Amino acid sequence: MTVVHYLNQFFAGLGGEEAADHEPIRLEGPRGPGNALVAAGLQIDLTVACGDDRFALDEADSLATLLAWIEEAGADVVVCGPSFGSGRYGYACGVLARELGRTGTPVVAAMTPDSPGVLASEGAAYIVPTTANVAGMRDAVPAVASIASRLAAGTPVGSAEEEGYLPRGLRVNARSEALGAERAVGLILAKLAGDVRTEIAPPTDRVAPPDPLADPASAVFALVTEAGCVPQGNPDRLPTRHANVWLRYPIGDRAELAPEDYLSVHAGFDTTEANRDPDRLVPLDAARALVQAGRIGRIHDEFFTTTGVDTPVAVSTRMGQEIGAEIRNAGVDAVILTGT
Amino acid sequence: MSHTRADLEIAAFAIDEVVEGALTGRDGTTLLVASPQLAVGAGEPALAEATVEVVRPGDRVRITNVLDAVVPDVRADDPASSFPGVLGGTWNEPSDPRIHRLTGVAVLPVCDWEASGHVTADEFPPSYVDMAGPGQDRSPWGSTANVVLRCVAARGAPVAEADAAIRHAALELARALASTTLDATPTDVRRVGLPDTSDPGLPAVCAILQVASEGPLTDTFFDGADLRELMPKVIDPVWLSAGRLTNGAYDWPGVRNTTANYQDLALVRALQRAHGETLRFAGLILAPGYLDTAEAKRRGAEASAALAAELGAAGAICTTFSSGNSHTDTMLTVRALESRGIATTALVCETNGGLTDHVAEADCLVSTGNEDELVPAWTPERIVGGGNGDAGRAVAMVHYLGSCVETGDGAWTAVPA
Repeated sequence: MTVVHYLNQFFAGLGGEEAADHEPIRLEGPRGPGNALVAAGLQIDLTVACGDDRFALDEADSLATLLAWIEEAGADVVVCGPSFGSGRYGYACGVLARELGRTGTPVVAAMTPDSPGVLASEGAAYIVPTTANVAGMRDAVPAVASIASRLAAGTPVGSAEEEGYLPRGLRVNARSEALGAERAVGLILAKLAGDVRTEIAPPTDRVAPPDPLADPASAVFALVTEAGCVPQGNPDRLPTRHANVWLRYPIGDRAELAPEDYLSVHAGFDTTEANRDPDRLVPLDAARALVQAGRIGRIHDEFFTTTGVDTPVAVSTRMGQEIGAEIRNAGVDAVILTGT
Repeated sequence: MSHTRADLEIAAFAIDEVVEGALTGRDGTTLLVASPQLAVGAGEPALAEATVEVVRPGDRVRITNVLDAVVPDVRADDPASSFPGVLGGTWNEPSDPRIHRLTGVAVLPVCDWEASGHVTADEFPPSYVDMAGPGQDRSPWGSTANVVLRCVAARGAPVAEADAAIRHAALELARALASTTLDATPTDVRRVGLPDTSDPGLPAVCAILQVASEGPLTDTFFDGADLRELMPKVIDPVWLSAGRLTNGAYDWPGVRNTTANYQDLALVRALQRAHGETLRFAGLILAPGYLDTAEAKRRGAEASAALAAELGAAGAICTTFSSGNSHTDTMLTVRALESRGIATTALVCETNGGLTDHVAEADCLVSTGNEDELVPAWTPERIVGGGNGDAGRAVAMVHYLGSCVETGDGAWTAVPA
């Protein structure tokens, strides 16, 4: 059984804010809160750490280094934190958990329920809720150690309600005693008798539409697409399907997206016609005409793009939130979102 | 409405062991497979190679690049008309049709389209069946003895021709295996079809079977012809058991329908079992999914609902083909049915982020599992079908053939965690 523990610079004993740019580092055995986990019965074989700012500013490289070390160690479980109410540390824990989840490595973390790490983890971690500061260490450590020990041993962990971790928003697979067809017949007969039941609750995250623009003629519009529109050659290697990244490209003073400059790498539809006129993907020409006519204010100077095909809804949600935050910070008032 | 009530008799022959030998035959519940003799696709010009290999439950094998699963069937009353339209014969509404079927064994055609240059990297997702390890129970074919037909498409052969050759070879192999039962006594006999009358006081329930046909490697076939122009139509459930509907779609393996699903559709079985007891099976509608435009989706949904009303259905059960786009077809069909006062349930798979689409009327859903869930890493001793098979890596549920199939043929479901 191999357990790896992730800490930030402070809890790893590398320093405070002055060490927040510390590059990823690997340390044998437990450090800081790792000693408390050991006392609670969880062995710690390896500690990996990174400065909070370094992770935030150099996420891809930091993540790659940490993941390589964890894979090399052959981790059966990874513990992240506790990060308590720390936004940067919590985010790093969540992102690391998310990526480890994609490799099937179990992760236990601990943080406040409103930490950005909860969303960033995309349900990949068992997250023990904590207080905002280290006063919650005493309560968090036994819970983290208990769940991590069982995950490392391959022993089942109970539900969020039973164990006290934050609901992961996940739906896990289980074998039913009856085939889907038999359950469907049972459900339709019940419904016909007035007893409406479902195995899937309706989604609760419906987004209320915002108020109409008060004055479109003075509003800033951004162009966003999931049509996989990228510069010729796909220089940033946007995945053709199952994308988990979005990209942005400058529009500058272009009047339109010319076919010799742009194309679609989307794997979910026949792109022949779209590639003859990429404005069909990102309607820059039409938007410019509206500006010219004085009907809208101006076009944001970048367009945002990803491929929306076979993308898990959770990933789409995350990308939407990230793009939304970017354009809100840029002072954009409205978005023209083109789908395929 | 081309609808008939002719019955089909299915005579089952249980197989509990498959062994390779010099001749193909059957000895009680042991199937003897002569692999060189059964490499039926070897003469096809669009194929560079076709070989047959047997893998069994418990073998530490991952089968890769799996295209389809076929139940070994033969028309005992007219073997030449097995899988009509593909192997040569026609259906022609025979008076006393009889299928001989092997159970416990399946034919799995595999082909690495990327290796032969017919698709680009990542164009088609991996498609696996594990015969042991943590993924064994994810695919129904992890627990059957499998006669794997490994095909290598001829480099430069048109993709549609190579695909047609593989589908033909797989169905011919299935017929050849089942032909070992001709003149033999089955272990079980059942009839597919409905009694002419049933209690009119019981609620009438129809099923809507969604299929998709989008082009080479993503087609569904009826009597050997693709269904790209399909509009919803009522079909006889007997036609499915007779092998008239076959698969040629190789995209996301966990959620697309296989030929085996059509041959023995659990939803038809369940509705026929309940017919006359708790409901009246009002009929089966074949409907297109993965439609390209909003208008086509709306039109398809309305046409399905109109047919359900014409059948007098008080209730309807909708299946779904694959994920993403087709979930919108399902949801619009649910809405169209409910707007006509037809109570509806639908079978859909889930993702880590929930459903791809949902309408308020979809208040009665069957979950066929979470396609995004990772199955723990496993390293097989052998890979059959080419490629590295993601050995030693966790694999998403959706990559296991038939794991989350939305026809009702699976037992997986998703529960909160």
